[in-house]
Amino acid sequence: MKIEDVVCPFCGCLCDDLVVEVEGTRVVSVENGCTLASEKFMGDHRLKSPIRRAGKRWEETSYNEAIRETAEILCDADRPLLYGWSGTHGEAQSIGIHLAELLGALVDNTSTVCHGPSIMAIQEVGHPGCTLGQVKNRADVIVYWGTNPIDAHPRHMSRYTTFADGFFLKEAFRDRKVIVVDVRKTESANIADEFVKIQPGGDYAVLSALRAIVMGKRGIIPLSVSGVSREQLFRVAALLLSAKFGAIFFGLGLTMSPGKYKNIRNAIELTEELNRHTKYTISPMRGHWNVYGSNEVFTWISGYPYAVDFARGIAFYNPGETTSVDVLRRKECDACLVVASDPGAHFPKACAEHLAQIPTIQIDPHTNATTHLSRIQIPVAVTGIDAEGTAYRMDGVPIRTRMLFKGNYPSDTEILERLYALVKEAKGL
Amino acid sequence: MKFLLNTGRTIKQGSYVERKNSTAYRQEATSLHMHPVDMMDLEIEEESHVRVESDYGVVVMKVYPALWISQGEVFVCLGPYANHLVSPETHCTGMPDFKGMIVQITPTTEPLVTVAALMEQCGGIQYED
Amino acid sequence: MSELLVRNAYVIDPLSGIKGDIMDIAIRDGKIVEEVGRNAEVIDADHCLTLPGGIDSHSHVCGTKVNFGRYMSPEDMRAGRTARKGVMHVTSGYSVPTTFGNSYRYSTMGYTTVLEGAMAPLEARHTHEEFTATPHQDMLANTLFDGNWSIMEAVRDRDVNRAAAVVAWTLSAVKGFAIKLTNPGGTEAWGFGEDVHSIRDQVPHFGVTPGEMIETMIRANEILNLPHSVHLHCNCLGVPGNYQTTLDTIDLVPDLNAKRQSLYLTHLQFHSYGGSTWRDISSKSEDIARAVNNKSQLAIDMGQIMFGRTTTMTADGPMEFKLYMLHHNKWSNHDVELETGSGIIPVYYSRKSLVNCVMWAIGLELALLVKDPWQCMLSTDNPNGAPFVKYPEIIALLMSRRFREREMALLDPRTGHYAPLPAIDRELDWYEIAVMTRAAQAKALGISGIGKGHLAPGAEADVAIYPLKPGLLDPSTDYQQVMAGFGKTRYTIKRGRVVARDGDIIVEGANSTIWTKANVPPEYNLSADPEFVKKFEQYYTVRMSNYPVQDLYLPRGVRITTEAAL
Repeated sequence: MKIEDVVCPFCGCLCDDLVVEVEGTRVVSVENGCTLASEKFMGDHRLKSPIRRAGKRWEETSYNEAIRETAEILCDADRPLLYGWSGTHGEAQSIGIHLAELLGALVDNTSTVCHGPSIMAIQEVGHPGCTLGQVKNRADVIVYWGTNPIDAHPRHMSRYTTFADGFFLKEAFRDRKVIVVDVRKTESANIADEFVKIQPGGDYAVLSALRAIVMGKRGIIPLSVSGVSREQLFRVAALLLSAKFGAIFFGLGLTMSPGKYKNIRNAIELTEELNRHTKYTISPMRGHWNVYGSNEVFTWISGYPYAVDFARGIAFYNPGETTSVDVLRRKECDACLVVASDPGAHFPKACAEHLAQIPTIQIDPHTNATTHLSRIQIPVAVTGIDAEGTAYRMDGVPIRTRMLFKGNYPSDTEILERLYALVKEAKGL
Repeated sequence: MKFLLNTGRTIKQGSYVERKNSTAYRQEATSLHMHPVDMMDLEIEEESHVRVESDYGVVVMKVYPALWISQGEVFVCLGPYANHLVSPETHCTGMPDFKGMIVQITPTTEPLVTVAALMEQCGGIQYED
Repeated sequence: MSELLVRNAYVIDPLSGIKGDIMDIAIRDGKIVEEVGRNAEVIDADHCLTLPGGIDSHSHVCGTKVNFGRYMSPEDMRAGRTARKGVMHVTSGYSVPTTFGNSYRYSTMGYTTVLEGAMAPLEARHTHEEFTATPHQDMLANTLFDGNWSIMEAVRDRDVNRAAAVVAWTLSAVKGFAIKLTNPGGTEAWGFGEDVHSIRDQVPHFGVTPGEMIETMIRANEILNLPHSVHLHCNCLGVPGNYQTTLDTIDLVPDLNAKRQSLYLTHLQFHSYGGSTWRDISSKSEDIARAVNNKSQLAIDMGQIMFGRTTTMTADGPMEFKLYMLHHNKWSNHDVELETGSGIIPVYYSRKSLVNCVMWAIGLELALLVKDPWQCMLSTDNPNGAPFVKYPEIIALLMSRRFREREMALLDPRTGHYAPLPAIDRELDWYEIAVMTRAAQAKALGISGIGKGHLAPGAEADVAIYPLKPGLLDPSTDYQQVMAGFGKTRYTIKRGRVVARDGDIIVEGANSTIWTKANVPPEYNLSADPEFVKKFEQYYTVRMSNYPVQDLYLPRGVRITTEAAL
């Protein structure tokens, strides 16, 4: 059976035009998708059943038993951390936050090691953005700063920017100018009209230089700024200002590099400055297909996009204190529920070490690095393949992922609902 | 020799991301990209093993030449191997210094370790399918 | 079967013609009935003011831009927070509370129905998700058409039937309630950083004017027999001298519907400015009120501002950028492809700012100078003028001249020179307040027929009982009590259940979402229309099949079906 307009649950592009052929409970072909999409849909290496650690070895267990033990661990904990959420649908995220509320837990999503700094910057200066179609139909200057879409968001350029024809740009590739800014010459840099190579850690200075030029202060620019020549800076600024509609996309090259959220703040302020001359938008290249959804759901329920601490009863937020890496670094939490992410692989070693010390439970379809650190793992259906639910694209557009077949695994929502019910009962509510 | 370590996504890392215990993932996540001139200075060949050490950890990786990287810098895709070297300090931002770590690189004959073994080094217990 | 009897209530039910009678209200299974059995649960209202549940006909509480207002404002989240307690979830936020925060606070003020003022169709699913998390109010969504390419093409082609078809398809697809135009044409122009400056300006690239769009949409709305009229946020919001644009707009409005207005003008305070710069801005409320008084086919809401901190958020992207140029605080913008835009900035309305003082006066003046309360509804354009928790204070100001004078004494002394408020004696009575906070909304939205905004048998049993005894109070002098009383009901009853009592939330709640489906003849169904489908094939970034909001996003959807006169 061929299913059309399938939504891809891999990256923040959330492409919704895939054609997927299904035979029984197996995907047999994927059209229109990128390599990442094909791997995701065709992947067939799920964890077969719930597992638990018994001393130094692993054993299979039942869903009932695994959920019961998880509830006990969470109820026994003084400072549980509920982490992950970006790889599941919004309905499951919603239960997760209510579970945290019930437990007085810390709840955090993968933004914490991704675009958390972007959120902090937005909280300082705001965010002039737009939906991706606005870029596709209008943008004649595209900037990719500290992001390599060809590897990380393979169809971003063909669906939304460089190669996508739009209403006001009938021949996109000819009509658009592309600027890539990075510390290394990535695949994406190879197709740029202008590649700006910055010395590592130099983003803040280069952004400041561009802001100064746009503000008409060319005279104060030195010969070279973080490895970028003054001539190139002038050229880039002129290109930026030549746009009728400019769109800046940025990635972890800004959020993870020295300066962190101040880099993003500077990029947003450059965008704001450019808006005094022409139209500009700026957008973070969100990684997980539904990381933005986790921010949205966290926000409408708790008021904050990530790093929410319910220990005081109220929702408390203070990045640097209530963020997962910090909580683990301080060895503060005494139990951790990981849902739809892999902190074992993506957190610093010291955090992985603490996860191994405390009872860590993972709800995830696949074994991963965190599996080896856990006490229990509960396999679930993959949203977008054998489970469905709401996802938010990197630009905030909500799209419902599809269930392509009914498999044998329960969804995240089902597991979390059962967990929530047990915890509620244990708390006498 | 000291290098500045940069991390980032690669298409292969993304492709194997749901098979973290596979050989293919390990191959990609331990691949360290280095400028050929630096490789000459270290007297190593393509696919040589190197010991990469920071103040926070040490891990074995495999070297590949890359012209897209500057001398003095190396690149590894994000993942458990690179993160073995990262400080958990976030400077009150929640975000560790995943990019721009200073590492010491020396040739070695030590083998690569599996993700499972790496996690066992962190105090976990290996799970095998 | 559940039965409830509210006894000894001082009832004002304007739609039923009840203007303050002591009576009993019988409720069975969520509906008002003639009588109930002897075993019914009894609430003694003890002669307290009892009204149909409050209806907010223009508020921003759910959806993409509202949530972004929260997202970007941890300082606002900190400014109002409560812990989990009983059935209550945690709440955060003052001017942009979390969904549960909004819901509980509205509920304790006796509000049981809220219309979200602006939903971008492309992002409708988000609005509906938040509606579901707003459990104490039935929700409705104004759906944005101000920069809709298919609409502008139909307007350019002078094809009102096609405009109607686009509206019918879209409302049905996104489960929207009514047509909203926010700075029509302006949001499209903002796509390239421009704006329109009068209803006669050309919208770039589309060859239409805002005036043509407004006229066409008013007619399309009536062709579809929609319950509500076109809901308009006029062009030139917040610009000194904009009252002329508002008057020009009012001139366009025909009288097409015997049951309600033909155009709803929202937050009119922001559109009633004289002068030419921020230095000589003045109130033109008298001109605007006169125009409204002369045209029964209009209904308006106030858009009152109140002093203090709040967050402005609107689909009017270019306006927010202008506002940012004044305030230099943080600024967010979010253009939506082929449809609309939006912007957000936090603001502080200060008694020390003459401009803010004049704005404050204008809102009150509109409510006091429009003669018929059915034509002027109470609103702050929440949270743009102030968070809705300020409604009780606004009611007190409208009911007490003395209170107004006390407030005026705290303002910039030049305010009276630019605004006529000091010369207005009118004090609204309980009946007029009841009209302006629920009955007029039910009529204007066209939802009295589904049992909203009144207490006649068959109506939804949404009831608010306030700790106010009209016989024992003189609002003119006892305005503090009026304010306190409207701030916290003794009982809020939603669909026959007590949901809030003395400020405490006592049930989790489960709301409905009211939406509109206009049936059109097959030749006006755009699902297979080549030009319409092309928009999705070539310009939208979401496939047409993934665009409509699935039914499961409205667990308790209430569909109002109409037959289009096509």
